[in-house]
Amino acid sequence: MNQMAVVPPALPGSVSFSGKRGDFRALVTRGALLELVTVGFYRFWLTTDIRRHLWSDTAVDDDAFEYTGRGKELLVGFLFALAIIVPVYLAYFLISVEAARFKAFASFPLLAFFYLFGQFAIYRARRYRLTRTVWRGVRFWMTGSGWAYAAYAALWGALVGLTLGLMLPWREASLERYKMRHTYYGDLQGSFEGRGWDFFKCGWWLWLLAPIALYVFPLAPFVYAAFKAVEWRWWLSGMRFGGVRLESTLPRGALIGLYWKVIGWIVLLALAFVVYLAICAGLVASMSAAPLNQFFAPQVFLKSIPLLVLAGIGYLAFALAINVVIRIYLLRDLWVRVLVSTNVHGMEAAANVSAKGELASALGEGIADGLDVAGF
Amino acid sequence: MNSGPEHETALLRPAIFFDGMSSRRRTVALAFGNQLEIREDQRPLAAWSYADIRRADSPSGTLRLTCLTAPALARLEIRDSAVAAELGSRCTRLDENMPGRHGTAKIVGWSLAATVSIVAVVLFGVPLAADRLTPLVPQALEQRLGEVADGQVKVIFGNQICSDAAGQQAFAKLVNALRDAAGLDTSVQSAVLSSPIANAFALPGGKVYLFSGLLAKAENSDEIAGVLAHELGHLKHRDNMRGLIYNGGTSFLIGLLFGDITGSGALIFASRSLVTASYSREAEQNADTFSVAVMQRLGRSPKAMGELLLRVTGKEGDRSLSILSNHPLTEDRLKRMTEEDRPRSGPPLLTAAEWASLKAICSVKN
Repeated sequence: MNQMAVVPPALPGSVSFSGKRGDFRALVTRGALLELVTVGFYRFWLTTDIRRHLWSDTAVDDDAFEYTGRGKELLVGFLFALAIIVPVYLAYFLISVEAARFKAFASFPLLAFFYLFGQFAIYRARRYRLTRTVWRGVRFWMTGSGWAYAAYAALWGALVGLTLGLMLPWREASLERYKMRHTYYGDLQGSFEGRGWDFFKCGWWLWLLAPIALYVFPLAPFVYAAFKAVEWRWWLSGMRFGGVRLESTLPRGALIGLYWKVIGWIVLLALAFVVYLAICAGLVASMSAAPLNQFFAPQVFLKSIPLLVLAGIGYLAFALAINVVIRIYLLRDLWVRVLVSTNVHGMEAAANVSAKGELASALGEGIADGLDVAGF
Repeated sequence: MNSGPEHETALLRPAIFFDGMSSRRRTVALAFGNQLEIREDQRPLAAWSYADIRRADSPSGTLRLTCLTAPALARLEIRDSAVAAELGSRCTRLDENMPGRHGTAKIVGWSLAATVSIVAVVLFGVPLAADRLTPLVPQALEQRLGEVADGQVKVIFGNQICSDAAGQQAFAKLVNALRDAAGLDTSVQSAVLSSPIANAFALPGGKVYLFSGLLAKAENSDEIAGVLAHELGHLKHRDNMRGLIYNGGTSFLIGLLFGDITGSGALIFASRSLVTASYSREAEQNADTFSVAVMQRLGRSPKAMGELLLRVTGKEGDRSLSILSNHPLTEDRLKRMTEEDRPRSGPPLLTAAEWASLKAICSVKN
């Protein structure tokens, strides 16, 4: 007789990640090469594949997530975003001409508008990603206004600027409250219980160290990694969906190694790039008719076209390799470290949630891509 | 499991089912009949036709299925590899939705096509658009742009306009003679700015600035006249407006082309300066042609400007990098102007005394 398969019961509320590191490395390496071949157009599909990989290997209570977005949606969103950004840029240009007539360089405050636009894009991009996130056959979704969020973000941003970063925890708490209040899983409404004061209490010494770290290089990665760890822990521990509570135990030092590994790789890659340039210069010099000592006079060899082309190719490979390194360490490895530190309590509240919510378009992602802003 | 017929019971397989309407996790049994039947406690929940079943993303070791005719988010999860293999053999169109190798080839193909078309537009379309659009831009807008640029120039160079009375008179005489010969109206304004830089430039809307640095290097009035005529050529051709449209269009398209292969900013910059430099070289050449024509009309030497340029830049010599430069090589410019040189037939544009006071125009600053 066929028995029901015996699946070892997972601990209620445990969060796990089952993806293989090698698979992810192959995915991003292949993606970087395809980005090179397609002069960047492949980014929409690579982003999608990375999310599909990360989502579907992440499981809560033994049930894995699923990312249902597709690269084509991102491409269409980007094209729509262009149709909006181009007239906005033109209008910006004409307004700044008018403004600058009264006073030279008076148009700079108008840049603030693009900050608002960027925050709007971040909010809408989050909405797209959430509505493509499915767990147990029910999707996440979001309401709220991107423009209202942008206004909050700008006001809080100004406050943070005025207080030299001291208000940052309160800004994050307030914005997160807005975002989570408008976030749903099915008919389960989200909320955020983290308080700015708690964040500040956990990391007040980082604010003291930050000005020193700006001048003492080896200190900076430690301070930044500790800040990120404190921030992640506080952020996750404040998240709620109805009766479902998240809790993170991420240690302060958990991310320091990752940042140093990235720095190490970048130094190695930069060394390789320099060696490559030296070899190219040697090759081109030996092939050119000019005698060696004449070739290496700076005004001559800096103007050699074959050398410039070789340097350009090397630079592209260098940039793409750095991209691969950053995606492996600061996306995948960081994701895993943060996940395994997380526990979910009150899972019974999510046992029978009714599906609700409409899909959102990828326009926000497109605008964020067009304006080169990121956030979640 | 006693109620069903014996042969069907033998085919019951375990799975997990989410109906897409709620997050309830149901442990179900599968029966492989004409359709895939999904049952919970002997009660049929759903029946999926094999041809409509598609694969959904899942962690390794789990087969996750969706059905075209079921609610979009209904999911069936099979964790037993034998059951997964059995079901996979029945669902022939399982992977039709998955982007595969074929899809990637298509993306690469379309990207290359898009790249070719963007490059073609940058090389041929944008210059054409700039030429056609420039005459359509209202003079008033160009005037405003000029005022903005003028304000910025004054901030950058400390608003040091040279205003020695005799010098100004000589300068006005020179500019007026050139303006009449160039066929431009009185909207053209010009001034000498005190700055060690040896240069001159024209702003949109008709403002020409000459730096005292260039004046200091000049040896006669024809040299300065040639340079001013060159700048008037830019005004006549509305090169500023054209360049603005051209640069805006090119930057936008090249940015679009490279998107964000992060860190390729330097590459975008390099390729853009390559393309726009060739465009600006052409504009410079046309302005030179204009300057030669104006000087010939006045019966003066077009060659003098070339000599002044050579004195300022020195020999540029190396040709390999000339495609990166936004001006033609000084030697080439001088050579062209020398070829066009004729014996002088007109009176000097300034008398010796006027030339001397023009040279001294910056002894009084505004």
